[in-house]
Amino acid sequence: MTKAWFAVLTLLYLDLSMRVGTAPVCAYGQAGCHVPALADLFDRVIQQSSRMHGVSSDLHSESDQYFLPSRNLIGKRKCHTYGIRTPDDKENAQRLGPEQLIEVILSLLGAWDDPLSQFYRSISQDQNQDFNHYSSNKAMEISDMVHDLRDGVAKMADKMKLSGVLGNAANYISPESSVSFYKRGELNSVDHHDLLLCFHRDADKIKNYLRVLKCTTLPGLDC
Amino acid sequence: MQFYCCGRPSQTSYLSRASGHFSFVPLWVLSNSQRFVGGAMMTNVWEAVVLLLLPFLAPNAEGTQYSPPGKPALTRCRSPEKETFTCWWEPGSDGGLSTTYALYYRKENSETVYECPDYHTAGENSCFFNKNDTSIWVNYNITVVATNALGSSFSDPVDIDVVYIVKPNPPEELNVTIMEDKGWPYLRVSWKPPQKADTRSGWITLIYELRVKLEGEDDWEMHLAGQQKMFNIFSLRSGGSYHVQVRCKPDHGFWSEWSSADYIKVPDYFHREKSMWILITVFSTFIFLIFMCFLHMNSNSLKYYILPPIPGPKIKGFDKQLLKNGKSDEIFCALVVPDFPPTTSSKCENLMVEYLEVYVSEEQELILEESKELHNSLKCEGSTSDNDSGRGSCDSHTLLMDKCGEAKGDERQTDGEGHPMEMEAQMHQRDWKEGTLSSAYQDIVSPDMSSGRVKTWPSVFSPLHQCGSTSLNQMNSLAMAKQHCLSDNLSPPGSASSFLPQSGRSTTETHRPNYCEFYSSDKQLSSPKPQAQTHRKLQAHSDINISHKQAGLQSPALRPTEYVEVQRVNKEDMVLLQPVESGCVCGDGCPQVCQDYSKVKGLNSDNMLLLHRDVMEGEEVRSHCEKQETNGCITSHITPATQKPTDCIPTVTPIVQKEMGLAVSGYVDTAAMLTLPTH
Repeated sequence: MTKAWFAVLTLLYLDLSMRVGTAPVCAYGQAGCHVPALADLFDRVIQQSSRMHGVSSDLHSESDQYFLPSRNLIGKRKCHTYGIRTPDDKENAQRLGPEQLIEVILSLLGAWDDPLSQFYRSISQDQNQDFNHYSSNKAMEISDMVHDLRDGVAKMADKMKLSGVLGNAANYISPESSVSFYKRGELNSVDHHDLLLCFHRDADKIKNYLRVLKCTTLPGLDC
Repeated sequence: MQFYCCGRPSQTSYLSRASGHFSFVPLWVLSNSQRFVGGAMMTNVWEAVVLLLLPFLAPNAEGTQYSPPGKPALTRCRSPEKETFTCWWEPGSDGGLSTTYALYYRKENSETVYECPDYHTAGENSCFFNKNDTSIWVNYNITVVATNALGSSFSDPVDIDVVYIVKPNPPEELNVTIMEDKGWPYLRVSWKPPQKADTRSGWITLIYELRVKLEGEDDWEMHLAGQQKMFNIFSLRSGGSYHVQVRCKPDHGFWSEWSSADYIKVPDYFHREKSMWILITVFSTFIFLIFMCFLHMNSNSLKYYILPPIPGPKIKGFDKQLLKNGKSDEIFCALVVPDFPPTTSSKCENLMVEYLEVYVSEEQELILEESKELHNSLKCEGSTSDNDSGRGSCDSHTLLMDKCGEAKGDERQTDGEGHPMEMEAQMHQRDWKEGTLSSAYQDIVSPDMSSGRVKTWPSVFSPLHQCGSTSLNQMNSLAMAKQHCLSDNLSPPGSASSFLPQSGRSTTETHRPNYCEFYSSDKQLSSPKPQAQTHRKLQAHSDINISHKQAGLQSPALRPTEYVEVQRVNKEDMVLLQPVESGCVCGDGCPQVCQDYSKVKGLNSDNMLLLHRDVMEGEEVRSHCEKQETNGCITSHITPATQKPTDCIPTVTPIVQKEMGLAVSGYVDTAAMLTLPTH
């Protein structure tokens, strides 16, 4: 009996003495810590953006069924992100430089946070059967994706700053106009359609800008 | 239809009624056409007048009817690299007049209408937008206008976004080589992205697909390569010639055309493993052939080795034909062989003891008759064989117990053939079971008798009779009696004829046909005939002569029990029988026959019984006989040593014939065994 107690006490002592201190992994980039490389970060971000774009394509094509196929933002209706100046061709995109590109990306992502939430709320309350249950799930998924991507790009930017690839002149402006554009509460189906179309395009922009950014900063086999 | 152009707001629309085609022709179009027509504003009016009057002037003119152009249609717009794009349209009918086409576009959220900057670069009926004019992620609203002298027509507008109309050029520099991996060849296909598509900057991302097929076949094998620019193809056919093509596609866009095919011929390869397997196969085939030859040559011996022949049922007298006929009685009769069972048969058919005449009172006769039925079963009491040579039959406890007993008690002369014979027959039935006498029966079927026959007491055949056909079963005692050469027949002289051609014997004496008149039982014996006739033409005849010859001495004595002892075998291979002196009376009432045996030396090929002249001394015989006393059979040894005839004559010891399977004992089943060569 005493032997058993002795064993238990010994184990307890060992456990206490050998307890290791926990700390977040690679919080401070200490030596020996495996920090994901920039290339990996890029790959992850690009994958996320591709996925986001795919979901937006699904949503857009679904909403397009209820509209004339040729209707394509004719008229005065614009995307709320039109205020963000985005490069619309390769030269302009390359001329911007990595910092500005990141800025544009983050602006875009930030501009869509609220509208997508609003859109999701509108869909879930929607009684006119424009979207089915599948679409409402996607809408919820999309808003999360945008949020995650935004955080990921921000982290990547920090990483790039640390690596010296990026300067420190990155300022992220979150345009207020975007929020106001959809402030009027209820969105009708036309609004839904336009919103999805705008978002589809912006997702493509983001994906493309990220790719350009990657190949500009890290030219590799994929580029 | 609204049309914005050149920064000026739309003005009046001119309705052209002349061609019946209602279209709004804006002023600036007319101003353009005015350039062609030339002149001042006046011409404009003239033109209008002409156009108005045209349908009235030549309403149904053939061939020379002019009309405004038909409606063109934008067929497609494509961008090869997401930096420029081209639009093509399909012209409608030109109306017989020279028609011009113009493309106008408007950008998203802008009112400015632009005309196509380049009509020539991309060919006829096309409009090429260069880099400066191309904006990505911007909607273009494009319209084509066909104009001729009489009017113009607008196509339907088309909205495009350059991002979604990208169709790259095919990949370039397709290169296919043959590589080898552990002896197995494979193709390595590599290519480059199209030159115009700028994948290096990441502006455009392409995925690739290639297809392979063998020369002469129609089916292509598709492979998706993703974003990589290199691919391996395995599982090639030796000596085949392959065509390889590759194409690409951006994320959202159209597949490019297939690149030009590259041809490659796979060299003939003979894999080492395959050659080894071929060698093994050839070798094993060779060995297999040798083995088959060996088998074929030794097929017979191997057959016997592997599948030894199953010994067929060697039941003597078993006739398959009978079995097929389905008559069980006949079958079983056929089974009754005279020498079966061997041991008991030899005892049973001891010449000396086979015949026992018994006088039975009528009561007993009845009982016996009843019991006869019981004994219809064809079993031979397989009594344990004991070597009772030299003993009287009564000495042998296995033999003739009943017979001896009765004989002892009934040593009286029987009157006629009838009852005593019956009794005897019945008794014989009981005692003699099937096998021993069956063959004798069969032998008797044939009436012909050859000279060399050995006559034995027909009582031998009594059991045979039993196992005969059904009629046999029903055979009455009379029939049986007929076949029994009863001793009582011996007495009446002149009644029987002796078949014993022995000179010494009185042939004159009439023997009543107590030799088995088996002819009478022809019908009964017909069934078991087939086997019997082969060799055993044994007829046993009671040798009444013998008994008589014995000077009647034995007549009274022989009456009850008459034994025949084989005296000797003469030159003609005849077994000479002589009655046994009846002085020897056992306790069972059987005279001793212990010493009067003759040994059968053997049987030669002619089915001759070779007897062994082994004369035993009297003393020996005597002693031998004395031994019989232990059996409880009192044998009075009568034969004095001086009496030669009564000397112990060697008994005919039966030999085991192969066919008969007789056990070697001291008795001869003369009925069964002796086939004399005379016939």
